[in-house]
Amino acid sequence: MKKGIKYAILLLIIVFLGYNSVEISKLSNLKASVKVFDAKAFAKDMLTKKLPREAGKVIEYDELIKQLKAAPAEAFAKKGRALTLGSIRFFMVKGIAEITAIDENEVQILTEGNNQPSIAIEYVFGNNLRDASGLIDLSDFDNTGDLNNVSSEINKIVRTEVVPPFRSSAKVGYKVEFLGAIELNEAHLNLNNIEIMPASLKILP
Amino acid sequence: MKRLSILILFLLFFISCDKNPKTGGRQKIAIIVSTLNNPWFVFLAQTASKQAESLGYEAKIFDSQNNTAIETDNFENAIAAGYSAILLNPTDANGSIVNVNKAKASGVPVFCMDREVNSSSGPTSQILSDSYSGSVNLGKYFVKQTNKKGKYVEILGLVSDNNTWNRSKGFHSVVDYYPGLEMVAQQSADFDRNKGLEVMESILHAHPDIVGVFCGNDAMAMGAYQALVAAGKADKVKVIGFDGAEDAIQGVRDGKILATAMQFPKVIAETAAKYANEYLKGKRDFPKKIQVDVEMVHIKNIADYTAYGKKTKL
Repeated sequence: MKKGIKYAILLLIIVFLGYNSVEISKLSNLKASVKVFDAKAFAKDMLTKKLPREAGKVIEYDELIKQLKAAPAEAFAKKGRALTLGSIRFFMVKGIAEITAIDENEVQILTEGNNQPSIAIEYVFGNNLRDASGLIDLSDFDNTGDLNNVSSEINKIVRTEVVPPFRSSAKVGYKVEFLGAIELNEAHLNLNNIEIMPASLKILP
Repeated sequence: MKRLSILILFLLFFISCDKNPKTGGRQKIAIIVSTLNNPWFVFLAQTASKQAESLGYEAKIFDSQNNTAIETDNFENAIAAGYSAILLNPTDANGSIVNVNKAKASGVPVFCMDREVNSSSGPTSQILSDSYSGSVNLGKYFVKQTNKKGKYVEILGLVSDNNTWNRSKGFHSVVDYYPGLEMVAQQSADFDRNKGLEVMESILHAHPDIVGVFCGNDAMAMGAYQALVAAGKADKVKVIGFDGAEDAIQGVRDGKILATAMQFPKVIAETAAKYANEYLKGKRDFPKKIQVDVEMVHIKNIADYTAYGKKTKL
């Protein structure tokens, strides 16, 4: 009898410990609790809300070129932005220009200050807009994959929402108002053949 | 007299058991690299070692031979030998975390170089190449050079390394937009030149009509190029590498390699050594992650570059 009580108590203890050491929950609940970074929403918010709010502070394209020619180191330090160590820097620029040529990859423009950059309409890739915006803090991102996805999603929006209406209505001789980002390498500065990655494009009447 | 001798012996014993032994008064920094079987990593390790020594430390390079178990041994040896800091080029983004954490628990800070570990709390700081952006530029160039059409293959690096996937994703983030470009094979060659050659040889048997090959590093690109030469297809297939290693830069110059992405191992290694020095002098506030530029090198701008860097000062 005594032996029976002993075994019963032992069994109770095992069941009690076993029950409390295992927790069963639905896999879907666990998946829902893992916070997934929404790069698409982040990019949309940045491109359509935050960036337009900053547009007033963005330097005119012609003024930036003037500063880069006069004192490049100072212009890079004051206006250039990057999330990386090195000599590549990105600049947000804006302006009004006349369309002088159009091909499948880019639109050539002539600014009021007689500069001739191009606007990318085919190869909209890279970090130009993400990094030039100054709206990203690297330490906010746990992994570089999320950071890269932000660029990817920004570019996707530009390719699907900004470029198509512009491409269909742009004609040589028309005026365009642009806001975009350019990439320059301070170690090998080349102010010819500058390409603007557009954030917004508006054909002016 | 006997008592005094014993006392002196005890004193000598305790002095020799100093937790952080210094060689000739100098602290020691360990440089643990994934492999020394690749000139790029040799350059990274030697630059880190040179920089650490110039900052007044004794430096020693440990080769993990692309093996996490050997890396573990290297960490244990470095910790036991009283190294004050570790500059790490990890073998595995996940597998190396345990080693980093072990060092951290022993009070030894770890600074990752070029390759990332998937932990924001383990390493004191990670100095990484912006592999994704470099590959985006390579992808754009590849699309333009192939006129947006043709079959191509991709030779991946170590599948356990984040750089492998950052490079692959960057390239595909561009190329996949063009339906005329079809990837007919994707295989790993572990960042190894000989494996790159073997993989390319076997792929060419099945797909002799490819127009390009994107390789996750220069060593594999050079191996792939050798296979193409042997198959008589070197002038028909565009080879792309990644790193900016000496033979690949020469390959771009000679028209053998279409393009590569220049990483800056000198900047990475020197920054890691500088951070370790600052840590050992008391600084504790470091960026958890910092990325270093990667620049595309091709025939039009080859004059600006040399192996592992730029011709002018960065």
